[in-house]
Amino acid sequence: MKSSRVFKYGDNVNTDVIYPGKYTYSLLEPEEMARHALEDLDPGFADKVQAGDVIVAGKNFGCGSSREQAASCLKYAGVRAVIAVSFARIFFRNAINQGLPVLSSPEAAEKLEEGDRIEIDFKQGEIRSDRGVFSFPPFPDSVLGILEAGGLIPYTKEKLKKERGTGCRS
Amino acid sequence: MGKTIIEKIIQDHTQDEVSPGRIVWMDLDVRTARDFGGPNVVKNFEREYGEIPVENPRKTFFTFDLCVPACSLKYAENQQVCRLFARKKGIRIFDVDSGIGSHVLIEEGLARARRTVVGTDSHMNILGAVSCFGQGMGDVDITFAFKTGKTWFEVPETVKVVIEGIPSSSTGAKDLALFILKNLGTKKAALKAVEFTGDVFRRFALSDRITLCSMVTEMAGIIGFIPEFDASVEKQIEGFMGVPYEPYAADGDAVYADTIRINAAGLVPQVSVPFLPHKVEDVACLTEIPIDTGFIGSCTNGRTEDIARAARVLKGRKVKDGVSLKIVPATRRVYRELLENGILENLFMSGAIISNPGCGGCAEGHIGLTGSGETQVSTGNRNFEGKQGKGRTYLAGPEVVAASCILGRMGTPEDL
Repeated sequence: MKSSRVFKYGDNVNTDVIYPGKYTYSLLEPEEMARHALEDLDPGFADKVQAGDVIVAGKNFGCGSSREQAASCLKYAGVRAVIAVSFARIFFRNAINQGLPVLSSPEAAEKLEEGDRIEIDFKQGEIRSDRGVFSFPPFPDSVLGILEAGGLIPYTKEKLKKERGTGCRS
Repeated sequence: MGKTIIEKIIQDHTQDEVSPGRIVWMDLDVRTARDFGGPNVVKNFEREYGEIPVENPRKTFFTFDLCVPACSLKYAENQQVCRLFARKKGIRIFDVDSGIGSHVLIEEGLARARRTVVGTDSHMNILGAVSCFGQGMGDVDITFAFKTGKTWFEVPETVKVVIEGIPSSSTGAKDLALFILKNLGTKKAALKAVEFTGDVFRRFALSDRITLCSMVTEMAGIIGFIPEFDASVEKQIEGFMGVPYEPYAADGDAVYADTIRINAAGLVPQVSVPFLPHKVEDVACLTEIPIDTGFIGSCTNGRTEDIARAARVLKGRKVKDGVSLKIVPATRRVYRELLENGILENLFMSGAIISNPGCGGCAEGHIGLTGSGETQVSTGNRNFEGKQGKGRTYLAGPEVVAASCILGRMGTPEDL
């Protein structure tokens, strides 16, 4: 049994439907942010999603406003990765900085369907499913470093510790 | 091998080798946060770095532009969170009276040619209008920038977009921007820097440059530059910013990912149809659409020249009964210019509502959301479902918005 279940959406999924603007003005806790993930695209998502599930979508995923919460709410909801034909730049950065892998694989994005079970091999750059094995370009070392550290801030702290021999406040 | 404009700017700010696809650590000349994203920057910073100072307070700014002055308790609290942090760290704030942050940075000469600037505004790439690297980022990126003065950045490829022909005189920069967006969609310039060339740009004023460059975000591009300009435009930009205009030009042997030619000869007024910015048609195809409300402003069309275009259409005419027209100057400087040259009075006499400077309705801020079934025509840059309320928003240039509010239906000044 493959571990991750697929939630499938279309092209141009924008940050307003990933995390509605009305919640961005409050500094909410992670659990509450997770409850509003994809609220205006798929109102049932927050109830259905389980840790390890993945989102599969079309082109330009995450277009629109720069809100960090569009990436963090998905991570807090337990989303393991987002696979899409392409990503809007700011969302792509935010996801990496949150430690949420974003994989560009037009083939996987086309073939995978809602409810499919898949397995992602980050080292090999492969998405395995009953519909086939799809490859994605491996992350460059610098990005992999950020992802492996769990995001940009943990990464910086590690880097600062190494460079200066002193940690910042944890 | 030669370099494109973005490659040259990035190379000035990194020790790493710059070529498309490489990720470099780059220095940031200016880092900003606004009342959207800013409070999270403060929260992140205090949680992770506590009492450590920001890297350089003189290069760090807050710009409040979304909900100014605060219209909800949440915004009031968030702005005050930023103010208290700014006082503690010695950071300057362009507060609720200032206007749109990206525009203020240009007016103040902080964002200028060859510099690198980031902020929590997805339209920060508007700074390409003055040949400055500008990039919108999330709050974790900006926290990191406050702390280190640096960011990681993947050097993008550059596409050249060649505009052939001259649009008709009934159009402005917004019509051309929408037409380019229609042609590029969200794929052809995706994740790339754009260099726009063509005779039409030689006399593109600063406000026109701002309009086009702001909409590179909707093209899914990284940033747009307009390397062509004549002496009058150079003089205008220098006079406006009070600093020399010294933009980079691409090398003759620079490498482009693609060259896209778009024929804009005889272009007529354009409008973007809900709910995707790149769904663009001729206004002439949509003159049956009834309009309930109009909005003129935003980082795309909030300059004095933009509002003056609308004022010329409105002069001696009235907004139709039952229709509202909301006008929001981009900055305090724009407001003053409109006041001094009598445009505000003309707008008022035409029945327009005039707000203090800021982002206006674009991000559920001030001056009006739409209700279910309400139709808005706006000079903004996005018309996603739910972005400005429950209604439907069309995007157009200032003349079309003004004419539509007089007619009570979609139309151009020629229909009056």
